[in-house]
Amino acid sequence: MLFFFLIPLWGPLCLLLPPLQTYARFTGAPLKVHKVTNPWQSPSGTLPALRTGHGEVISVPHKIITHLRKEKYNADYDLSARQGADTLAFMSLLEEKLLPVLIHTFWVDTKNYVEVTRKWYAEAMPFPLNFFLPGRMQRQFMERLQLLCGEHGPENEEELEKELYQEARECLTLLSQRLGSQKFFFGDAPASLDAYVFGYLALLLQAKLPSGKLQAHLRGLHNLCAYCTHILSLYFPWDGAEGPPPRQTPVGPETEEEPYRRRNQVLSVLAGLAAMVGYALLSGIVSIQRTTPARAPGTRSLSMAEEDEEE
Amino acid sequence: MSLVAEAFVSQIAAAEPWPENATLYQQLKGEQILLSDNAASLAVQAFLQMCNLPIKVVCRANAEYMSPSGKVPFIHVGNQVVSELGPIVQFVKAKGHSLSDGLDEVQKAEMKAYMELVNNMLLTAELYLQWCDETTVGEITHARYGSPYPWPLNHILAYQKQWEVKRKMKAIGWGNKTLDQVLEDVDQCCQALSQRLGTQPYFFNKQPTELDALVFGHLYTILTTQLTNDELSEKVKNYSNLLAFCRRIEQHYFEDRGKGSSSIRSS
Repeated sequence: MLFFFLIPLWGPLCLLLPPLQTYARFTGAPLKVHKVTNPWQSPSGTLPALRTGHGEVISVPHKIITHLRKEKYNADYDLSARQGADTLAFMSLLEEKLLPVLIHTFWVDTKNYVEVTRKWYAEAMPFPLNFFLPGRMQRQFMERLQLLCGEHGPENEEELEKELYQEARECLTLLSQRLGSQKFFFGDAPASLDAYVFGYLALLLQAKLPSGKLQAHLRGLHNLCAYCTHILSLYFPWDGAEGPPPRQTPVGPETEEEPYRRRNQVLSVLAGLAAMVGYALLSGIVSIQRTTPARAPGTRSLSMAEEDEEE
Repeated sequence: MSLVAEAFVSQIAAAEPWPENATLYQQLKGEQILLSDNAASLAVQAFLQMCNLPIKVVCRANAEYMSPSGKVPFIHVGNQVVSELGPIVQFVKAKGHSLSDGLDEVQKAEMKAYMELVNNMLLTAELYLQWCDETTVGEITHARYGSPYPWPLNHILAYQKQWEVKRKMKAIGWGNKTLDQVLEDVDQCCQALSQRLGTQPYFFNKQPTELDALVFGHLYTILTTQLTNDELSEKVKNYSNLLAFCRRIEQHYFEDRGKGSSSIRSS
């Protein structure tokens, strides 16, 4: 059975793509990823969305993993109860400490945003969304970061940044200590925690960021780098080091995007034409003169003749 | 705190020993304090007891506004004010007292991860229940939060706080959760804690750490606070080793020092 997985190209949840995709690779779930550029293309109206073989649609991220587990694609099958508890704890750690900094690195840090993120999104989105959508996403992310990291005023932004990065560095060091010299976090087989950790770390390692303070720290933790390279070579062999994983668009979705793109272009040209013609007519530049056609008296006389006949 | 300020504070902190008149500030216990703040305050009290450091608890209606970070509890030690469990642990460490020195690197990583789990799930669930569940908000929270203030300030402050909390919930993705989903998350969290604790007396075997203090603070408060229904405390009561854990810490660190407050009802 084939799962179709629609991932948003925009919106805060786009950072979920690497972990969920990695989880699918680990478990061997037959997942086809469709990158859509507007939420109306999704069956449930929100993204990400998983459409199962039965036609059911699931939208909540952790329910997606639960569904995969139910369908026997479970990466955590061999874990003990305590390891399961550890998974939950470390995922919370990642979410609290690492995710805000990832958001900051890719969306709030000006240099990175202008040179990497915005450029990539603008290229991937169709006209005319690429003009305003990245800016809107940035504002959404900044707001989210403000809410998450509290109540510091704008003058404390630098301090907030320093604190955030310090906590993230600590988090990475903790992960490195927990991993030690093992191949995966829980022994010899990857689990869902590995999917999440790899998903976030790979984003950080692969992207060519101009200001990569966290990247530098991560590169210093050799066991984490070796861990990422190991997983990349095992589960993503053709991606290699060609840039961040989300950049890889498989051929399928691209051709599917073509008719939409063509249609959007045709529609926008038609809309432009209609606007021009409408303006021309309304302002009197062009006017249509109605000449009474020759047939009109003929028809009138015919109807009169009919009336005569009736009488 | 910025890095420079932190280093500076640690320097000063290290210079002086722990004074006898250290005080902890929280909101008014009987009428004002809410579930989540009570849990945080109890966690800090438990931690300080475990370190054998004397502390006096003082209740003030404006404790939230006095705090440097806006969160309770905060401690006033010498001429310094430190709020929230994380910075307090570091401050106490700078004074030479620490509970987690005996742990190795892997255990320290696990301890931090579990503390995040409690903050991520238990604390957020408490906040959700207090501010996003309409029944609790109407019957308990609004009345308690605004109790020290005259009308109409009590309503305004309560609504303002509720709006703030709801915004935050939306930002972290809890805005659309139902109460049942939140209770399920609490259950998952308690299950993880219970599995990690196992049959040991404390999370890292013989000695308690700040994780034990934090877990105790939250679980004890959940078990002993009267809410509109008992669903939250029932989730915790399902795990007998967690109940025993709370009882053990209460007996050892609170009752023995003569600070018996409402004890856990065993059912």
